[in-house]
Amino acid sequence: MEKSNQLSEEQIIQDLLPQKFGRRGMIWTAILILFCLVGAYAYYRQLRYGLVVTHMRDYVSWGIYISNFVFFVAISLVGSLITAIFRLAKVPWRTPLTRISEMIAISAITFAALIIIVDMGRPERLLNLFTHGRIQSPILWDVIVISTYFCISLFLLYVTLIPDIKIMMNVKDKITKPFHKIYRWLASFWKDQSDQEKIRDRIITILCITIIPVAFCIHTVTSWLFATTYRPGWDSTNFGAYFVSGAFLVGAGGVVVAMYAFRRAYKLERYITDMHFDKMGRMLVLLSLLYLYFNVNEYLIPAFKMKKSEASHLTQLFSGEYAPMFWFAILVGMIIPIFVLLFKKGRKPLPMFIVGIMVVVGAWFKRYLIVTPTLLHPLLPMQEVPESYHIYFPSWEEWSISLGSLAGALLIITILARYFPVISIFKTLEDEKEKSA
Amino acid sequence: MKKKNQHNLVQLLLFGMLIFFFAGSNIVEAQEKSEPQPVKKYLTLKYFNVANRQQYLLLNAITKDDKGVSPQQNKKFSIYIDSNDPANLIATVTTNKMGAAKAFIPPVQKAIWDSSAKHIFLAETDMGTDDEQTQEIEIIKSKITIDTLNEDGVRSITAQVMKLENSEWVPAPEVELKIGIVRMGKILSAGDEPTYTTDSSGIATVELTKDSLPGDENGNYILAAKVEDNDELGNLFIEKTVNWGVPNQIDKTFFNQRTLWSTANRTPGWLLFAAYAIVIGVWGTLIYLIFQLLKIKRLGRVKVK
Repeated sequence: MEKSNQLSEEQIIQDLLPQKFGRRGMIWTAILILFCLVGAYAYYRQLRYGLVVTHMRDYVSWGIYISNFVFFVAISLVGSLITAIFRLAKVPWRTPLTRISEMIAISAITFAALIIIVDMGRPERLLNLFTHGRIQSPILWDVIVISTYFCISLFLLYVTLIPDIKIMMNVKDKITKPFHKIYRWLASFWKDQSDQEKIRDRIITILCITIIPVAFCIHTVTSWLFATTYRPGWDSTNFGAYFVSGAFLVGAGGVVVAMYAFRRAYKLERYITDMHFDKMGRMLVLLSLLYLYFNVNEYLIPAFKMKKSEASHLTQLFSGEYAPMFWFAILVGMIIPIFVLLFKKGRKPLPMFIVGIMVVVGAWFKRYLIVTPTLLHPLLPMQEVPESYHIYFPSWEEWSISLGSLAGALLIITILARYFPVISIFKTLEDEKEKSA
Repeated sequence: MKKKNQHNLVQLLLFGMLIFFFAGSNIVEAQEKSEPQPVKKYLTLKYFNVANRQQYLLLNAITKDDKGVSPQQNKKFSIYIDSNDPANLIATVTTNKMGAAKAFIPPVQKAIWDSSAKHIFLAETDMGTDDEQTQEIEIIKSKITIDTLNEDGVRSITAQVMKLENSEWVPAPEVELKIGIVRMGKILSAGDEPTYTTDSSGIATVELTKDSLPGDENGNYILAAKVEDNDELGNLFIEKTVNWGVPNQIDKTFFNQRTLWSTANRTPGWLLFAAYAIVIGVWGTLIYLIFQLLKIKRLGRVKVK
C-alpha cells in the first residue's frame, strides 16, 4: 500500500466498509437481474418443452452449457491460487486480493454446479447420482469434488470474514445497520481474544492446505470427463495439467478485472495500488506462457501426426469453420496479453483491466472450442441423420441461460460486495500495525 | 575431331527429340484434359427373390463424368411390370443418398404376376424431359431350395433351382450359385470352390469341408444358397439354420469381475479405498475445523459470562 501508512484505523474502517449502491451500482444490479430473469424464463421453457428447445442433438450433446461449466470451474480455481498459495507462500501484497478472489470462487463454483443441472433434461434425476452412482464414473467424482470445493470455499470466506463482521457491528454505521441481525448471527461470538485468533489462524492455514489439492482435483476431474472419452481432441494424457494451467490463467484474469472494477467503484486506490496490478501483470505473463506451452503440446503433436481421426477436427480448428474463434482465443486470450504485459506501461491499471477482459473472454471461447468441435467429429462417420445434426449453434434459450448464469455469478459477487468488505479490514489493520511496529 | 562433332550432333538431336516428344505428349494430354467429358447417366435394375416369398426390385442410378462416379440422389423413377401402362405400375420411388431405391411387387399386381412365367420390369423417369432415363430387365419366375444330407458322417448341402415353364416347375440347369455358411454378412463357401453350378436336375451338392465352425450358444449356424445377377433368373437367396456348429460358450464370469466398467456394487477395491480415503480425509478435516469453529464460539461465550 503506497500511502496507507498515513491512514488512521478509523479511516481504513470507513474506506473498507461495504457501501450502499450508487446510481451506477443500481443500474448494474438491475441489468444483472434482468439477464437472470431472461435466463430463468428460457430455463422454464426448457423444462416445459424439454431439451429440444436447445440445438443440442445426438452428436453435440454437450454444447454451450458444458463450455460454460468448464469456464466456471476454471475461474473458481482463483480462490485457491490467490488465497491459499499466496498465504502459504507468505506473499506480502496479497491482502487486498484475497477477499475478491474468494468471492469470485464462491460465485463461480455455485454456477458451475447449477449449470450442470441445467444441462440435464430431467434435473430431478440428479438424485440418482447419489442413490445409484458408480464411484468408477468421473461424473460422480466431479459431483463430489465440486460440492467439497464449494464447502471449503464458503468456509474459508466465512472464517476470514468473522473479525470484519465484528468490526462492522461495532461501527454501527448506517450503511451496515440494516444487516446487524445477520452480522450478529454470523460473528457475535468474536471477542478479539488471542485464543480465538490462534484457533482462527489455524483453521485458515488448514483450509488453505486442504483447498489446494481439492482445487487441483476439481479441474483435473473436469478434464477427465473429456479425457476418459475416446474422441479426437480429448484423447490426451495431458488434459489435467492443460486444464489446471488454463484455470489459473482465467482465474488471475478474472481477479484483475474485479480488482479494477472494485477499485473504481469503491474508490480503493489507496489499497489496490499500481503495485498490485504490476505484480498481477507479471503473474499473468507467467500463466499465459504456461498455458500457451500446454496448448502447443495439445495441438502441435496431434497435428504433426495428423491421424485420420484427428485430421478433420484439427483442420476445422486451424483453417476451417472454427478457425476465426480458435485464433481469436489463442491470440486474444494468450499471445497479445503476453506482449502487452511484458511492458511496464501495460501493467498499469487500465491496460491490465483490458487485458484481464481479453483473457477472460478468450478463455470462454477456448472452453467452447474444447467442447463443441470435438463432438462434431466423432470417430464413426455421421450417417443417415438430419442435416441439423451436423452443425451446432446454440439456440436463443441456450444463449439466454448461459448469459443468465454469467450474470448470476456477477450478481453473487455484487451482493457479497454489498454486504461484506471486499478487502479484509482486520487484515489491513494488522498489516498497518506490523508496518508501524 | 570431325567424328567427335558428329557424335555431339547425334546426341543433341536425340535430346531435342526427347524434349519434343515429352512436350508434345504433355500438350496432347493437356488438350485432352481441357475437353470436359459429357456427363453419362447409368441406370441398373435388379430383381430379387428372397426365400421364395419376398420379390422386390432394386434400382441404382449413377452419373459418370471427369470427377468420377457419383450417385443420382433424390431422383424419382416409376417402376412397371410388363408395360409402362399406369395399371402396371409397381411403385414410384425416389433414390436415396447412394442413388438406390427399392420397390416390392405389390399385391394389386398379383393378377399380372400370375398370368405369365416371364416378366419384364421397366424403370423410367418422367418421359419427355431432358433427363429421360429408362431401363428394363426380363426375368423368368424361379425358386430356390436348400437341404442337407448326412451320409456316413459326411455332411453335404444341396441347393436346387427351379424355373417356371408352361405353368410347371422344371429344373434350371447351368445356374451358377454360392453355397455356404453365413459369416459376417457374407457367404463363406462350404466347399473348396467359391461357386457351384446346377446339373440337369437343377441341383448342386457341396460337401462341407469346413467343420468345427463356431455356432451360437446351441451350436446353430445358418446355411445359405445364393444366385447372383443371373441373366434369366435374377437374384435368388435362401437360408436354413442347422445345428452343425461348435457351441459358443459365452464367458459370463466377466460380469462378476471388479472392473472400472462394472456396476456400482462391483467397484474395484483399490478405487473404493482411494475414493473413500480422499473423501474421509478431506471431510474429516472439515468436520474437525467445524469443531474448532465451535470452540471459538465457546471461548467467546465463556469470557462474556
